[in-house]
Parts: sequence; C-alpha cells; structure tokens
Amino acid sequence: MPHPLRVPRAFALTLVLFAASLTQAAAHCFVGARFFPATLAVDDPCVADEMSLPTVSWSKTGDVPPASEWDVSAEISKRITEDFGISIGDTWSQIRPPGGPTQAGFSDLETTLQYQLLKDGSQELALLLGLIVDWGGTGATNSGLGTSYSALTPTFYFGKGFGDLPDATGWLRAFAVTGQVGYQFPTSSYDVAMGAYIPQYLVYGGSIQYSMPYLKSEIKDLQLPDLINHLIPIVEAQLATPVANNFGNSYLTTGTINPGVIWVGSYFQVGLEAQLPVNRASGTGLGFLGQLHLYLDDMFPQTIGRPLLGGSTTAPRKLSF
Amino acid sequence: MRTLFGFLSLLVVAAAPGAAHAHAFLDHASPLVGSTVPTAPHEVSLSFTQNLEPAFSSVEVTDASGARVDQGKARISGNTMQIGLKALPPGSYKVRWHALSVDTHATEGNFSFHVGGP
Repeated sequence: MPHPLRVPRAFALTLVLFAASLTQAAAHCFVGARFFPATLAVDDPCVADEMSLPTVSWSKTGDVPPASEWDVSAEISKRITEDFGISIGDTWSQIRPPGGPTQAGFSDLETTLQYQLLKDGSQELALLLGLIVDWGGTGATNSGLGTSYSALTPTFYFGKGFGDLPDATGWLRAFAVTGQVGYQFPTSSYDVAMGAYIPQYLVYGGSIQYSMPYLKSEIKDLQLPDLINHLIPIVEAQLATPVANNFGNSYLTTGTINPGVIWVGSYFQVGLEAQLPVNRASGTGLGFLGQLHLYLDDMFPQTIGRPLLGGSTTAPRKLSF
Repeated sequence: MRTLFGFLSLLVVAAAPGAAHAHAFLDHASPLVGSTVPTAPHEVSLSFTQNLEPAFSSVEVTDASGARVDQGKARISGNTMQIGLKALPPGSYKVRWHALSVDTHATEGNFSFHVGGP
C-alpha cells in the first residue's frame, strides 16, 4: 500500500524545482579560497542549491540484542535569496530486530530554514543560522519511526578554514573545521501513547577536514595522482544530550564519531564514512554512511542552481589589476 | 520512497548538464604551487578546470614586500591565464588570482613560489 505522504512529498519537491527553474543566480560553500564540502552527518555552514540523493547508512542499534537498521534519505536545498535558503528532506528506515517483526517506514518530514550571517573570504570563516523543523504526524508513527508531535531546533553553524595561518605553517593551512549547535524542543512535553516525558536536547556536532584540493592549489602541488587531489579526509561527530524535561530518564549523551573521506568533483561529490557509536546506548559496533551529493548550482547554473529571488548579490566586478 | 527516488533520478537525467559549467578550480600552475625554481621564470601560467570570462578574471604577482613584479596585463584564453614577469631576484613571490568561469561562478586563490636557493 502506498505511503499516504508519498505523493505530497514528491509534489512539493516538484513545486520547489519548478519554481526554482523560473529564476536566476550562482554557488555552493566557497569562502574565499576555501571550499567546504557538504558533510554527511552534520551540515555545512552555507546556504546552497544542492541535493543529497541518496544518503544511505547501516548500523546496529543499541538495543539488547541489537537490531539491524538501514536508513535511506534524500534532501534538497534551495536558495530563496543569495543568503536565505530552505531544505526539505526525509528518511526511510528499516529496523530488523533478531527474531522480531521488521519495522519500516518514513520518519517525520524535515524542513530547515537557513540564513547566511557571514562569509569572510580572507579568514575563510562562514556563519549560519538555521531552524530545523521535524513535522509531527508526517512519518510512520505506528512503527515508532515518526512522532505525533513536532520538534523545533534553532541551530547555529560555523566553518573555519586555516588558510589564513602564516605561510610557515605549510601543510597545516589545508585543515578546516565546521560545527553546529542546536537546541531541540518538542511541541509537546508528554507522549501519552508512550507514557513518557519528551526530553529537550542539545544537538551538536562538527567536523575536522583536510582538503587535498586546497593543498594542491594553495600550498604545495606535490603532483599527486588526480584521484588523491580530489579527496578530503574527514572526521565528523554528531551528538545529542537530553538537557530538560527528562524526568526519570538518563541524561546520557548519544552519538557517533565518523571517520571517512569525501571525493569532490566539479558537479558532485561522493562521501563514505564509518560510524563509531560513542557508547553502548548509541549503537553496537561499526556502521557505515555513504552519500551522493549533487551541486545544483554547477549542474544547472541558469535554472534551478540560482536563488529564486534577487539573483546574486556578489555580482561580477571588474577587477583592477 | 522508490517513487520519490525514481522521480528525482529522472529529473536529474532529463535535465542532464549538457551545457553546464562549474566553478573554475586551479588545475595546475607554472611555476608549480609552493615550488622553488632555480632560475627566475619569465611568466606565471595558470590552468583552470573551466573556461574563464576574460573581463572578470585576473592575476597579480607580488614580492615579499607586496610590490607588484608582474607586467600588468594578463593574457586569458580558454581555461588559461598568463602574466609576464619583470626580472625577479631570488626571493619569495605571491600569486593572487580571481577567476570567473563562463557561467559566472567566481573563485579565487593565492599561492607562493620561490626563486633560487633550496
């Protein structure tokens, strides 16, 4: 039986893409000479026209005995203006406990509004504000993959490249970090069906990344194979800590540490990461996470790769030298 | 989910970027980025991954004191940018470039090279 939300989701995406095709503008996460790739577990610090299709992960849950879980998600991000954008995404999950019935379905639809506070090219610094909304009642509530209530997460994002370090620091200048901190609060404080309080969470994470493209074009061209020059080795972390309305439950932090690598091309990137749970409650053993990510601004620069309104505020300028 | 992915996949294929371009990355440079050359080069040559818009792309070369040591006017054709140099004494030099690919994606960067010595 088709999922009741399947058609509206596809229709909504169609509307976004169609509307986007009627307007104009230009870029993903370039800040000066620094390019921040789209990270897999946390978000990069820029509004952009991009699409993650798909992101696939496999892991074993922290249950005893652990269940096997597959997650497949898609997300499209679209700039409304040069500095303001919206993302729409959803995840389909399948959880298979040993000897038990398999649960499968969509989680709640997630939308994110983002505003670019700052892009400082000379310092390779980007700051971003966002509001993530998980829309209650849009997922498979019967199987526990969706919830009957919504959750709001105001989030602050940052990215900082170290290219502004002195030249003497050499290859260290290819490092960059990104991070995000959000506070998630549900629209309901008590889940009647589960008979439990719904906690408020501090949701945070980040990445440390080493850009081989930056090393080659800004620091030293070691004439390495082309494949190597497109790689960005990365370690991501995504964590959540219940901080309020958690009566009778543990305040244990859960999350994963994800070492991996991203291959960056002109029109898309491919990322693959391992997922290491930070404790027993976060999962069992090694998982993995993979993603194909498309740069819509580069693929479709005259149509859906431009902001819906206003075009580019960073119009080309005639350079004096 | 399969319907959604099918739809999006179809969209991507249908709108395949036949005439698309992208950000212009520096592919290689002469002298090489970060290199030390024994004798002074007569020009700096930059090759990018995309064709450039000449009116909005540029390069300059400066010495350790920040003084210009290039000959002022870059030659830009296709995906390459070249600029002549004055006679360079041994020392460190900085190359700063701005590139606008033909579909108006802007990129920038800078790197050093060294003349003479180890």
